[in-house]
Amino acid sequence: MRKTSIILGLIFAVLAVVLAVLPLYKLAFIPAVLAFIFGIIAFLKSKKEAKPTHVIQVIFLLTIISLGLATYKTIFTVSEVGDTKDLQQTEDKLNEEAKEELDDLIIID
Amino acid sequence: MKFKLTILVTLIALTFSFGQDNNAFKSGEKLVFSASYNMSGILTDIAEVKMEANEMKTSASTLLHLKCTATTYSNFDSFFKIRDLYESYVSPRTVTPYLYNREINEGGYYKYVKYKYNHKANLVESLIRKKSKNFASGFWDRNEKVKINNGTRDIVATIYKIRTLDIKKAPIGASDTFTVLFDNKLTKFSFKLLAKETINTALGKKECYKLAIGAAGTNVLKGNNSNILWLTADENKIPVYAKFKVAVGSGELKIKSATGLKN
Repeated sequence: MRKTSIILGLIFAVLAVVLAVLPLYKLAFIPAVLAFIFGIIAFLKSKKEAKPTHVIQVIFLLTIISLGLATYKTIFTVSEVGDTKDLQQTEDKLNEEAKEELDDLIIID
Repeated sequence: MKFKLTILVTLIALTFSFGQDNNAFKSGEKLVFSASYNMSGILTDIAEVKMEANEMKTSASTLLHLKCTATTYSNFDSFFKIRDLYESYVSPRTVTPYLYNREINEGGYYKYVKYKYNHKANLVESLIRKKSKNFASGFWDRNEKVKINNGTRDIVATIYKIRTLDIKKAPIGASDTFTVLFDNKLTKFSFKLLAKETINTALGKKECYKLAIGAAGTNVLKGNNSNILWLTADENKIPVYAKFKVAVGSGELKIKSATGLKN
């Protein structure tokens, strides 16, 4: 039980850090919470069995890093549109073409 | 007899024109939306969608240029860059399309589609262009003639056409079907008025028509009543909120701003 919790906690903690770095940072909250839960289970078990808690500390550290990063990004990231120069050029080009094509059009309705 | 006939023709013409007039949008209108994708219940903003209507004058007539663009936010550009353009040149009064352009750039995938409508012959001259290494130009073109029905529109013109409908006269549960030409195929889209709801939007608290969208004979839209569109229950009928479920997941579209409204 203790070992399983440590392994699962570590996997989720690493996953949370990876997701927190990616643009999908909001998803990091799910594995971070799971890692935290498994970390607590492992910590309680270790204390009961009087076994070392070094790895568990790593789990908590990673969880805190991912939660901090994800929270920071959620609050401070402004959704901005990137470079649209190409799109603008396409729009202008298609608009010119449309003008030529529709020039002799007579609306019947 | 002749007099009666003239009156009859005038009456028919009048009802026709009153029923079809566009009182929902005008040239200069600009709607900005934010599209978010639903992943495990967490919504992430991924793209900005703009819908613009502008006037275009040709030597013989004045058309309305309806343009919809989708652009991913800069933090997603390095992962999956989307630069999509959908546009339709329509008659300002009846929203009948005359020319349709669609150019999509989605994560390296490119496609260009052009439809030129010939309403007299009920035909559409279609051009589909894709990237191909087998041709010197780098593009592969396919020209086709597609037979359409009366009232067939492209996707952009259909969205705007729905806004011109007289929804306030329709009872709850009423539905309407539109034939949409997409990827050279005629697809029937149905719209059902589910309810009247008041929802919170970026434009304030709005009373809205809740419409369910369904597509027959295609698997573009998934689920039953999971594609829902909210149009404001006023003359403008602005699409303020939409929920969609497609093959790759679900998401929503929320309005951010609306300028140049007609009413």
